[in-house]
Amino acid sequence: MREKILAALKSSQADYTEIRLEEREATTVAYRGKDLETASVAIDAGGIVRCLCKDGGWGIATFNDRDDLIAKVEQAYQCATVAHSDEPIELAPVPVREERIAANLQRDFRDISLADKKALIEGYNQILLKHSDKIVSTNCAYSDSFSRITFASSEGTFIEEERPMVTVFTSAIARDGDNVQTAYETRSGQFGFEFVMGQEEKARTAAQRAVDLLRAESVVGGQYPVIVNQELAGVFIHEAFGHLSEADFVYENPKAREMMVLGRRFGQDILNVFDDGVLPGLRGTHKYDDEGMPTGRTALIKNGILVGRLHSRQTAAKMGEQPTGNARAITYRFPPIVRMTNTAIEPGATSFEDMIKDIKLGVYACGAYGGQTELENFSFSSAYAYMIRDGKIAELVKDVILAGNLFTTLLNIDAIGDDFQWMHRGGGCGKGAQYPLPVTFGAPHIRIQNVVIGGKKA
Amino acid sequence: MDILKQLQQRAEQFEVVHLQNESTQVKFESNRLKTSQVEETKGIAVRVVKQGRLGFAASSDASATEQLVKNALESARYGDLVPISFPAAQTAPTVKTFDATITDLPIPRLVEIGKEIVAYILQIEPEARVDVSLKRGIQHVALHNQAGNAASYQSSPLSISVQANKIQGDDVLILFDFTGTTVWHEDYLAGTRRLGEKLKLARRLTTLSSGNWPVLFSPNGLLMLGLPLQQGLNGKNVFTGISPMKGKLGEQLFSDKLTVIDDGTLDGKFGSAPYDDEGVPHRRTALIERGVLKNFFYDLKTAAQSGAASTGNGSRALFAPPSPAPTNLLIGAGDTPLADILASVNQGVLVEDVLGLGQGNIISGAFSNPLSLAFKIEKGEIVGRVKNVSLAGNIYTLLKNVAAVSRETEWVYSNLNLPYLLLPEMNVVAKAG
Repeated sequence: MREKILAALKSSQADYTEIRLEEREATTVAYRGKDLETASVAIDAGGIVRCLCKDGGWGIATFNDRDDLIAKVEQAYQCATVAHSDEPIELAPVPVREERIAANLQRDFRDISLADKKALIEGYNQILLKHSDKIVSTNCAYSDSFSRITFASSEGTFIEEERPMVTVFTSAIARDGDNVQTAYETRSGQFGFEFVMGQEEKARTAAQRAVDLLRAESVVGGQYPVIVNQELAGVFIHEAFGHLSEADFVYENPKAREMMVLGRRFGQDILNVFDDGVLPGLRGTHKYDDEGMPTGRTALIKNGILVGRLHSRQTAAKMGEQPTGNARAITYRFPPIVRMTNTAIEPGATSFEDMIKDIKLGVYACGAYGGQTELENFSFSSAYAYMIRDGKIAELVKDVILAGNLFTTLLNIDAIGDDFQWMHRGGGCGKGAQYPLPVTFGAPHIRIQNVVIGGKKA
Repeated sequence: MDILKQLQQRAEQFEVVHLQNESTQVKFESNRLKTSQVEETKGIAVRVVKQGRLGFAASSDASATEQLVKNALESARYGDLVPISFPAAQTAPTVKTFDATITDLPIPRLVEIGKEIVAYILQIEPEARVDVSLKRGIQHVALHNQAGNAASYQSSPLSISVQANKIQGDDVLILFDFTGTTVWHEDYLAGTRRLGEKLKLARRLTTLSSGNWPVLFSPNGLLMLGLPLQQGLNGKNVFTGISPMKGKLGEQLFSDKLTVIDDGTLDGKFGSAPYDDEGVPHRRTALIERGVLKNFFYDLKTAAQSGAASTGNGSRALFAPPSPAPTNLLIGAGDTPLADILASVNQGVLVEDVLGLGQGNIISGAFSNPLSLAFKIEKGEIVGRVKNVSLAGNIYTLLKNVAAVSRETEWVYSNLNLPYLLLPEMNVVAKAG
């Protein structure tokens, strides 16, 4: 294959050409209630050629059939000549590398039988189903995926990287009359089968929470001081701030550049945020991004001040900054775009007790159902929450959805906990049509003042 | 076909689906043509029933058919016992899904249309940044099963998506429009005009105080209520017992102004085809009629589990087994002209778009979202855009009392046809500033 790839690159008439091939084998075992929904293996193989003509644009060809790469390069080149650009598209230089990166798994899930994978998730599913007669259904899944990615460019880079991923998802759905509540726990990382074994406690936690939520009242809408747990704080920084730090949002938009100018104050001095694509095992980690650029750690907010952003080669060149290794693609069906890897709020100095003790009436929001940003505005939903009354955690409440304006909300973070955690949760991030991309969030507890929470009337 | 022969000897029932797609796309970013892309996709998905157990496997590697058959049979070893039967051929409706005008559109013509769209938006809002994507394709689907069903068709999807961003200081406005069709319409600027009108309306900012106000949902905004409704009507959620509508067929659950229909037989729409993805003919199914729950929508497996018949709503992507999904979902038009509905509102909110659609516990009917695009209505007029407003509620309570449904409907996203719908009163939370 190597010879074929090199010959195809050599045949290209474009200023820059890259070929990325992927072979992936993925296993899914999923239960819905007591029914096994699927226990199956998928084989996915294909590739993408991307050509750049500096006075034109990008041309892309994606395909399953990898026999005639020279023809694919020609197709991509023809596409690249369609556009005409007065201002040439430049790519920031990246080191030329030749490397083969093998996955190093303790218990390689490819050696585990489908029967054993099924037995593992069936065990978790039984815990969910037997927990209470209120649990009417479950959504319980094991999945693993092993990709071999070959990236080669006309600049001489040739990288072969193995990317493993293993995930369990345990979700319980409890019902009492018309009242239906869901709770979930998940675990995912670039590890072997051992990483998802012994997770019975997660299943029990999810089941108990779903039952507890049946008795929870909906939160009363209004403005509150809110303490956000590690998981939700991680989702928050990813959704509300992280997406704005992706340079493809600002690089061609002068107004957006003004808004996201380096040196602008985003938070109080206690706030520090970074993205790190190097940390072993985390879902967003790769040695190289999908443009062959080595990943690294990028400081985004330091002592409350915006100090950096995430780049592809194109956005870095345009803005005169350094590429950061954040050009990522979910599969060979897509070109790389600027994405986060593992994004986190650095730990602070406040203990949880100190954070909560002065709150007369507030909300302790935990876990995440998801979130969305439209740049300055964000919305994210907590999986469960408690009222805070007189400095103490009080009753469980449901339907807590936090919304707000990024700039005011970040400035309203007035305490950062000393209890940092990386969350090994599954799921992924969506941008454009590319979903789900594996990412990881990390954070300590944080406290935010004056958060708007939608909800019923008092 | 080789793979069919292999399966004939090794399973009681089988189903093989071949997918083959080709598409061409041009993408404008920040007002300029940046990328063009061609895509070729091939894949095979196999289901088998062996000793009564259902198995599934899929592959995009055409050379791996032996492994594919092996994987499907292995999957069936662990599969559940399901009383499913892959059906023989049935008469299907004639549905238009292919138009050579679309497949023949040359790339330069796509580029021209893209430029026209960008120019149209910039003439309304010179400061805007416009992203446009135009994609035309040709798709072949062919299904074969042990009962001799050979359902195949081709379609010619064309999608036009337009996004306009406008930033003033820290005020960011993002508007989005999507049009999807499989037959060519000369008026390809319709979606762009719709977006342009919203841009004009959004220029003026105004404020709103929290309180109980009438809320008018536009077709696009109505998805906020439509999504929980769609989940509740999904046969799988009914079978697993999590739908609040379970066991309530024939009951008046909603206002008699609410009618919901699934229809996969409409010409040229993204959800349309002669058959669903399991070879069952598409049809028109009344789900809710004048507020009365009439039907749920099912695929083969969920129907078999529920003792019902498939409604032709089996839907699949290559790498997952089928599951029930709406084809085209229609909320029926009412009898009030939109102008009269607007005129009836003294003070209220018009909801155009929300943030975080589908987040939270929506199967319970609950939703809670900030509004990413909303307008204030005063004395029957739309007077300006309001920011930092959020809505929360539960459709099973709210949709019992609908004030009006418009005579006009619009196609939004790819497969939804929705009217304007007015709720007499909702708790609206607004944050100053």
